[in-house]
Amino acid sequence: MRKVNLLSPRAALLSLLLPAIWISPTSTVLAADCETKIGAVLPTSVDWGRPIAETAQFAVDLFNESGGVKGCDIDMVLRDSQVDPKIGVDAAKALVDLDKVPLLLGAVSSGVSMPILTSVTVPSGVMQMSCCSSSTGFTDVAAEGKTNGLWFRTFATTRNQAAVAAKLVQDKGYKSVGIFYKNDDWGQDIGKLVKADLEKLGITVTTSVAINDAQPSYRAEVTEALKTKPEAVYMALYPAEGISVTREWVSLGGTQKMVVANSLKSDEYRDGVGFQYLSDVIGHDSAPPRTDSADSFTAMYKEKFDSEPNGPGLPNIFDAVMISLLAMEAAPELTGAAIAAQVGKVTDPSGTPVNADAAGLKEARALLADGKSLSYQGATGAVVFDANGDVSAPAVAWTFTEDGTAEAAYYPLADVDTFIATLSK
Amino acid sequence: MIGLISYLTFFFTIALILAIAVLGLNLQWGFTGLFNGGVVAFFAAGAYGLIMLGGPARANEFGGFDLPYLIALAGGVLLSGVLALVVGLATTRLRHDYLAIATFGVAIAIESVARNAEYLTGGAKGLRGFERPLEAWVGQPQLYSFLFLCVVIVCLVGVYIALEKLVDSPFGRLLRAVRENERAAQSLGKSPAHIRLTAFVIGAMIMGLSGGLYATFYAFISPQDIAPILTFQIWAMLIVGGSGNNRGAILGTLVVWGGWVGSGWALTAFAPASMQLYAGSIQYILIGCIIVFTLLARPRGLLPERLTTTQYAESSVEKR
Repeated sequence: MRKVNLLSPRAALLSLLLPAIWISPTSTVLAADCETKIGAVLPTSVDWGRPIAETAQFAVDLFNESGGVKGCDIDMVLRDSQVDPKIGVDAAKALVDLDKVPLLLGAVSSGVSMPILTSVTVPSGVMQMSCCSSSTGFTDVAAEGKTNGLWFRTFATTRNQAAVAAKLVQDKGYKSVGIFYKNDDWGQDIGKLVKADLEKLGITVTTSVAINDAQPSYRAEVTEALKTKPEAVYMALYPAEGISVTREWVSLGGTQKMVVANSLKSDEYRDGVGFQYLSDVIGHDSAPPRTDSADSFTAMYKEKFDSEPNGPGLPNIFDAVMISLLAMEAAPELTGAAIAAQVGKVTDPSGTPVNADAAGLKEARALLADGKSLSYQGATGAVVFDANGDVSAPAVAWTFTEDGTAEAAYYPLADVDTFIATLSK
Repeated sequence: MIGLISYLTFFFTIALILAIAVLGLNLQWGFTGLFNGGVVAFFAAGAYGLIMLGGPARANEFGGFDLPYLIALAGGVLLSGVLALVVGLATTRLRHDYLAIATFGVAIAIESVARNAEYLTGGAKGLRGFERPLEAWVGQPQLYSFLFLCVVIVCLVGVYIALEKLVDSPFGRLLRAVRENERAAQSLGKSPAHIRLTAFVIGAMIMGLSGGLYATFYAFISPQDIAPILTFQIWAMLIVGGSGNNRGAILGTLVVWGGWVGSGWALTAFAPASMQLYAGSIQYILIGCIIVFTLLARPRGLLPERLTTTQYAESSVEKR
């Protein structure tokens, strides 16, 4: 075989052609001439976790279609957490160390997000934003200054939900309340907070009973609560155990005056208990807000997935992705700290309001290029983070009807925040 | 490159911490034939014991004595030992599957206590705020992770050498005698109940050490860390590696844990984008396949137990 002489005309021709061949395939693709990786650790192997991951990818695609971050497409590297802290932390560590992501989305369970935060993202200086971890523990960590401002979540904390529950009890004029709470981190948190809030409002809490999953009967728990003769009950339960507890409660002669958490806002619960026993029920929920941006999310979601965004955490993960990516666009360099520092700029209440759709994102880019700040209006409304990376949210009160649920009252964000402020005094 | 080193340091830290627990189970099952279905209970005792003794004080809650690290770690190990002693005494007449069910129940009870006894264990949100020993002094996180891995390796090697010596000793022969034929051992004037209890407690304390190191590494523990899946993972590591062989136990840990997390990484790296949402579910299938195929290829584990007979037995065979 003959060697190609580097000085020959043929070699010269080759050297001219090669770069041309190299460039041609990429130049035909418009936005995708570079890629920036971000990481996501979500429980994709769990039934309610997969829609969250789908929505995250949907938000990333939407952002890429509008031009990506700094002209580069975002590649979201998705790992399953298996709802196991060991696995979730390992996945996060691999994303941070091997894929070098400056931003991590996740996790869902507080028990997974917490070790990721303390042993992966904070030591490595990576920004972490969760859609769904509600534990008050994160507020404590942030308040101790141990998150270095790298932690955010778009899920209204349990603090917010509990305050609204207390407000409903107060508005209804109940004087004594018994509490049933689900025995997990969310339930324990909200049970304790509601109890404290009610006591602060001068309402007697007669008892606070933990409800474990998957028991065949809750007669013992219900009887115990019944003995304390509360005027009304508050339930922070999921439908499965909520149905059993409510049925036993009502059949043993307990009051039908009930205040329930958003987790019971389901047809399954209404049909399982029977609507005739639920006419005096009022529930609280933190979404959706009264904004066009929330409606536009619902519309975009329906168009894409052909169903309502009804699962837990879907609007929240959408906003988490959008805010993070806008902050990346605004950041002078793609490091965790630099991105985290821009989150305030894209969620500035005094900034120009922009929606999370194609037109809004385009406008956002132009504003950021001019160095202006934005007020992101997303699926959960105008998101504003406090110093601990927490968000507050407007609330609705709802009741059951023959064929679904109906709204009873709307509490705008300002009202909720004022009420929480009076409780924290 | 630095990223790869950082990740591998992390990977080996977790894998080798788990390997210590697998060695503990190997003493119980591999050498003594005790079917411990509640590995996670003893792991949890070590982890919670450490953080309760060595962690910072918490408002209105018990624990948080801020004791020196080694005392807290020893306390956690001791707590596992005490738990094992109580469980062992209570289940002394149980064998095999009955023991498995009883210990499984203990593990569920321990998880339930951790989830509910808020003044003791922080409840479902867990215990946090633990200061890792010498971390502030070392300063640089990368260096600290590496040093921590060295400490884990020292612990693992220490446990390995101690166990090798133990199973090579006359006591080790006694363990195997109890495993193979309890009545025969009894007829030689030995007390199987006592031997079984001793092996159970020592094995549990080793699991406690593993739990203590785990909690130190994350500086956090919650009931989600002590879900029943951990017992399964540790069993899978021992069975794949080869029960009755300490080196096999360590190798099995690396293979199973490597496969477990490696499959997740490989799927995100190589599976097509449209499959990414299902990668989590496919990962479970892969993990199952790794375990099944290893066992089909090597039914007694990757490194099976080396069965030795004494020189006296050999000579008697020759004479026949």
